[in-house]
Amino acid sequence: MITLKNVVKQYGNSLALDSVSLKLEEGELVVLKGVSGSGKSTILSLIAGLLKPTSGEVVVDGKKISKLPDHFAALYRRDNIGFIFQKYNLIADLSVKENVLLPLVPMNLPREELESLLEKTLSSLNIKAKEKSLVKNLSGGEQQRVAIARALVNNPKIIIADEPTANLDEKLSLEFIEMLRAMKSKNRTIIVATHDPLFFNLDFVDRVIEVQKAKILSCL
Amino acid sequence: MIKDINFYLAGYALKSLLRDKSKNIFIFIVFSLLVALLASTFFLSASMRAEYHQLIKNYPDIVLTNQRAMQDIPYNTDVVNRVLNLSGVSSTVGRVYGKYAFSQAETVFTLLGIDAFENYANPLLNKLNKKYSLDDNAMLVSSSVATILKQNYYKEYFNFIKEDGSRQKVQIADTFYTPKSSADANLIVMPNELVRKIFGFKKSEFTDIAIMVQNREEIGFIAGKLQEEFPNAKITLKEDLLREYENIYNFRSGFFLTVFVIAFFTFFIIIYDKLSGPNSAQKREIGILKAIGWRVEDILKAKLYEGILISLSAYIFGIILALIYVYIFKAPYLKAIFLNNYTLLSDYRLVFHIDIQTVVLLFFVSVPLYIAATIIPSWRVATLDADEVMR
Repeated sequence: MITLKNVVKQYGNSLALDSVSLKLEEGELVVLKGVSGSGKSTILSLIAGLLKPTSGEVVVDGKKISKLPDHFAALYRRDNIGFIFQKYNLIADLSVKENVLLPLVPMNLPREELESLLEKTLSSLNIKAKEKSLVKNLSGGEQQRVAIARALVNNPKIIIADEPTANLDEKLSLEFIEMLRAMKSKNRTIIVATHDPLFFNLDFVDRVIEVQKAKILSCL
Repeated sequence: MIKDINFYLAGYALKSLLRDKSKNIFIFIVFSLLVALLASTFFLSASMRAEYHQLIKNYPDIVLTNQRAMQDIPYNTDVVNRVLNLSGVSSTVGRVYGKYAFSQAETVFTLLGIDAFENYANPLLNKLNKKYSLDDNAMLVSSSVATILKQNYYKEYFNFIKEDGSRQKVQIADTFYTPKSSADANLIVMPNELVRKIFGFKKSEFTDIAIMVQNREEIGFIAGKLQEEFPNAKITLKEDLLREYENIYNFRSGFFLTVFVIAFFTFFIIIYDKLSGPNSAQKREIGILKAIGWRVEDILKAKLYEGILISLSAYIFGIILALIYVYIFKAPYLKAIFLNNYTLLSDYRLVFHIDIQTVVLLFFVSVPLYIAATIIPSWRVATLDADEVMR
């Protein structure tokens, strides 16, 4: 489903990925492990179409994502990708509802459809009660849930999580892992980039891929 | 068209504006005030031009004034008849009038003589002539003059001080209303003989001669003939008066050009500030929106809504403010600058006249410019990689 072929990514003189090749199957949950600056986040950004490789190809469902013009890359993200960022990347002065609905805003869907998607997503993550609260007034764990809700609201096939537990304590990290399990059970393809050891021995993780110094070191 | 509007996007734009409330409210206020200031001067000037044109319509085609050593002196009745005999002249009226300073109220009245048998170019005089048959010692005063006289305890009569220092008591027969004419606002109408008495004119003397011609195309030609016939005379054409008004107005336009420059300078500071681009939080937000699937055009559309919400609402608000200021509050301060040669400002009514062209011009030099200044910097950021913008 997702294929990276000899992908090289350079930021100026700095090499972020050096001829990386990778194949992920539909419904698979893959953990990318590695230290900061190893290239994990770059792999995620390439799969999400947020970055274009310097050379090589990224193919998702037969589509060459790396060649998509900006306009179509955005549409690809809207239809296929749910991105959970390390710092949540929420808009602090908007409410929970407004943040979660953000990916759907440009689609101009009928109000009933929008409300139904919102209701379903917020309820599944137990944050319906906080719907009207401003994100800046929420705890770290609640913000994490909002970020997940925003990633899931458009019902994406692929979920990408970049260091999702970096700002959470152990209890909240375990909660996130449970949510991940629920997502996996819905046959979504999930890629998690992390250096949190909690993720490395989970029974529902299909593969742990180690990234080091811009290369894939091992695949367990 | 309404169907094409994405109200969720518009709602997001509104929220986005409210998040930077103080800055956007400041921009809205400055924008509105600038539009209001410029629109007020446009409305006021358009209204005054319309008023001048209306006023000039009631003027005679040619006015002949006798002069000696370039000073105005009266004409005798025989000249009125000589002018009437010139070919192309349809009618002549010997006018008796002058300015009377009422120092107690620090104002000046225009004393205008009428003759029951004359036909005047000014419809107001014909109307008064038809309605009243004035006694030898009675006068009609405009509503503004009546107010001033009452304030100075002259309710039924007024004592004019004549040229020789003696007093002339004149009864106030009635008051006429002058709703829009600035020139008529300080008018006192009385029989010719009474004006002569007050100003010390001899019997059969006139201040000047108002001439109407048969064919407007021949005004210049007849003016030439008059100049030949009366070499000392000052000849004033209706067009000259119009030009004179325009010149007075243009002088004030020069003054307001300075105001316009200051207004536009302020506006361009706002534009410059907008063009300096989004701050780091706004850039990050654009990056987040791109990362969650917004296209560049969606981001620009949101910015377009933001620009429209601020500039269009500020523009409309500014225009409404100007309308209220000029036509309801009668443009205090601004009117005084425009009309400082008129003493009875309080009764000067502005004709409701909107020059659509200037309103449209004001729209095009403000609203699209502001919208462009909102969109262009965001477009620069939105076309970068989302990943790069968020870092």
